[in-house]
Amino acid sequence: MSKVQRNPDWIIIGTILMLLSIGVLMVYSASAAFAAHKYGDPFYFAKRQFLFAALGVFFMLLVAQMNQTRFQQLAKPGLFICIALLIIVLIPGVGILRNGARSWLGIGAFSIQPSEFMKLALILYFSHLFIQPRFQLTSFRQGLLPSLAILGSVFALIMMQPDLGSGTVLVGTGMILILIAGARKKHLIELSFVGIAGFVGLVLAAPYRIARITAFIDPWKDPLGAGYQLIQSLYAMGPGGLMGLGYGMSRQKHLYLPEPHTDFIFSIIAEELGFLGAGTVILLFAILIWRGYRVAMMTTNTYHRFVAAGITSMLMIQSVINIGVVSGAFPVTGITLPFLSYGGSSLTLTLVAVGVLLNLSRIKR
Amino acid sequence: MGAIAALVKQRLFIVFVVAMLVFLALLGRLGYVQLIQGKWLSGKAEELWARNIPFEAKRGEILDRNGNKLAYNVSAPSVMVIPAQIKEPAKAAKRLAAILHASETKIYREMTKKQLIVRLNPEGRKISEATARQIQAMKTPGIVITEDSKRYHPDKLLAAHLLGFTGIDNQGLAGLELIYDQQLRGQRGAISFSSNARGERLPGGVEHYIPPRDGAHLQLTIDRTVQMILERELDQAMAAHHPENVLAIAMKPQTGEILGMASRPAFNPDQYRHVKPEIYNRNLPIWKTYEPGSTFKIITLSAALEEKKVSFKEGFFDPGFATVGGAHLRCWKKGGHGSQTFLQVVENSCNPGFVALGQRLGKQKLFSYIYRFGFGEKTSIDLNGEAKGILFRPDRVGPVELATTAFGQGVSVTPIQQVAAVSAAVNGGKLYRPFVAKAWLDPKDNHIISQKKPIFVRRVISEETSRQVRIALESVVAQGTGRKAFVDGYRVGGKTGTAQKVGPDGRYMTDNHIVSFIGIAPADHPEVVVYVAVDNPQGIQFGGVVAAPIVGNMIDDILRYLGVPKRTHQIEPKKDPLEPELVKVPNLIGQTPDEIQNSLSLFGLEVKGQGKKVINQVPKGGQRLKKGSTIRIYLG
Repeated sequence: MSKVQRNPDWIIIGTILMLLSIGVLMVYSASAAFAAHKYGDPFYFAKRQFLFAALGVFFMLLVAQMNQTRFQQLAKPGLFICIALLIIVLIPGVGILRNGARSWLGIGAFSIQPSEFMKLALILYFSHLFIQPRFQLTSFRQGLLPSLAILGSVFALIMMQPDLGSGTVLVGTGMILILIAGARKKHLIELSFVGIAGFVGLVLAAPYRIARITAFIDPWKDPLGAGYQLIQSLYAMGPGGLMGLGYGMSRQKHLYLPEPHTDFIFSIIAEELGFLGAGTVILLFAILIWRGYRVAMMTTNTYHRFVAAGITSMLMIQSVINIGVVSGAFPVTGITLPFLSYGGSSLTLTLVAVGVLLNLSRIKR
Repeated sequence: MGAIAALVKQRLFIVFVVAMLVFLALLGRLGYVQLIQGKWLSGKAEELWARNIPFEAKRGEILDRNGNKLAYNVSAPSVMVIPAQIKEPAKAAKRLAAILHASETKIYREMTKKQLIVRLNPEGRKISEATARQIQAMKTPGIVITEDSKRYHPDKLLAAHLLGFTGIDNQGLAGLELIYDQQLRGQRGAISFSSNARGERLPGGVEHYIPPRDGAHLQLTIDRTVQMILERELDQAMAAHHPENVLAIAMKPQTGEILGMASRPAFNPDQYRHVKPEIYNRNLPIWKTYEPGSTFKIITLSAALEEKKVSFKEGFFDPGFATVGGAHLRCWKKGGHGSQTFLQVVENSCNPGFVALGQRLGKQKLFSYIYRFGFGEKTSIDLNGEAKGILFRPDRVGPVELATTAFGQGVSVTPIQQVAAVSAAVNGGKLYRPFVAKAWLDPKDNHIISQKKPIFVRRVISEETSRQVRIALESVVAQGTGRKAFVDGYRVGGKTGTAQKVGPDGRYMTDNHIVSFIGIAPADHPEVVVYVAVDNPQGIQFGGVVAAPIVGNMIDDILRYLGVPKRTHQIEPKKDPLEPELVKVPNLIGQTPDEIQNSLSLFGLEVKGQGKKVINQVPKGGQRLKKGSTIRIYLG
């Protein structure tokens, strides 16, 4: 096999840069009122978003130039470090409690979410695991069960924070990798039943999740409680119409939609830029996903194929769930929209993941 | 390995296709929300953003027929709370509750409401200036004093039952305030703007001002002076006779315009809360139903005259009773009136005479006239709470019922029905619907927006019959039972009424009567019909003694106030040994006091001022006074 260096996928880079630009502009528009109200500086979030985006792009390009053998070497230690971090974050006093979940490590602005790192670590580790000669995914005992055990344990750790959003993305990405890597159809069908049962169990375990489900079916039943966020999001998207109210003209960002620059940034995009603007964002994500899976198809190295597919699937699941939630297609879960939501360290990390994808796009037969 | 690689690529492709379909579905969902549900969601969102600052319209004033204000608005401060601005609600609630004498927990609850503006009902509404100053002195942000207005009645109790009253939000609750609430209230305006979740103005939001439309002024047919005359006389009657209640109506017979309507006990509309509901809810002149007694004989007389069943000169002998269907119906006068003409039958209010008239008319005719005069149905006056009264059912009327109905027993009517019916009997035979609201005036320039015309209901008797009725009524006052209503020169006509009340057991009560008098004046062209009923007066219970003089006083003052000239021709009053004669006052102006002392023997004299000659006198020469009255002269 001869490896020929070539240029990375420029379409991916272009798409990412467009999404990042829209992101910085929209974070400013969405957060200006809230930032001025809370920090006395309308640019508070926009400045930070710009810095993290620039830092992220720098790391992305750096990773894109890296020696590819490094990725596989990182797989095992990465997983162990991340599991350790996930345990540490649960210790009261060490992990930082925000919005009822102990998900953060670090001090002030320089804090990270171990679950974000875990996603990437899991992709690298699963891809490494699935190409081991002794590992047979078609076998229940010697393939499927161990991988499900790892996925389940990591998910359980994340759910102890609790962070259903990250947990869902993690499990979804892991399952797609298991699917792609060749698990048996019979096993997959059986698994999907177990998955549905598990989902129902999780929902029944926490009353607030039931409320979110019923609020999703009819948000106006409890407009000030469980249905509040969805209604406020719809009140942003509806008036946006085809053309939108114009940049900066959102009304819902004025303290109606809680923290409009994070999870609900897409609602503000739909309100200010209309169906055309929001549709463009969906299109950009579709292009990115298309190019991501294309990288996975084109590469010859199975390990690289799994890594590219995993990263792409992660981005896909995260963007689909976020857009689905804010437009009322799924029940509300706290998931940020990649590249667009104000995110700090998680934005940088996502860009690092894209850097890996870009790196893999450079390999040709 | 090759087979596996192919499977991986195949699975990868499936995932890719599914992912694209999901994105397509999301695009569809986005389009559905933004393009199809967009309008509906926008409407709901506008509601969320919209904040209305209401601008109250001014409530229209209520004026009498000459433009005197009977009810208008005065400013009254109110407390308004803006919960978002209150820093320490517990502390603020405690202090405010103490000033307003209100419950602290209630104030706290109101203060912490998630609402833009909270009004503190009722303790914080329409408070005194002093209380308002105390609250302002608190200087608590979020507690503000705002301009509000309340209804004010300059004449206190005057026309209270007619006017009614308004509630805390200046909404009509009773009387004309309630009936014409829509027009009086006007339309509230508002400044409407979009706001953020903290109630602050939203950039780029919609903003518009809807100006309030002030309520129109309501001009009544009521004359403030006439109303005052009625109420003054009613107060005196209450003091003199201690009845359960009294009522009076004055109406223009030619149009149905009510000039005055009053009853006692009354109330001050500004303080209606301190009065029992049955006092302010019952407008007695239209609510009360009772046997009219002899005043009803006017209807029987009108019918008999119209049907030519009787002439005034025709003779009638009253033995003191009439036997009808085996029953003995007694005349009010023991032993009867003996031999008399039918005019005297009317003057004497002789029951057997009216039984005869009823019999001559027959059941069919008499009842048809009673219905045509408007009894048995509401007059439809523009007031609330009017009663209908009860008549015998036609199929239940036997000879006894016919006979009693003819002299006003066994039927139940309202005062307003009697006034409307008697007006028709004396105004030339035309029944009009009584009314109180005369016109609507533009609150800006007092121009008439709309005016109510008299409502002619039907003709009941001919002009000629009506003229005869007037003659009969005048002679009742001049010669008969209505003597105490006589006013010299005003040609008062009328009819007394004394009716037994029906007790709760359905039987007549003893020594408990409603005594009444209905008067018209002047008899040649009636300007006013006045009705007074006194319920259970202490002492003598006879309409001619209790009610007739009240009506006489009212008519005297009303006609004098209206400037109706005194007539020179009238039916002269019958000489009564107990009543002093009426004597013409000589003209004394220009004479010296000495000259007068010699010539004036029939009157007393009161001298005012210094001087040689009389320059003025009260009353003027040519008027008539009771013998022995005093004339006042002014010297100069």
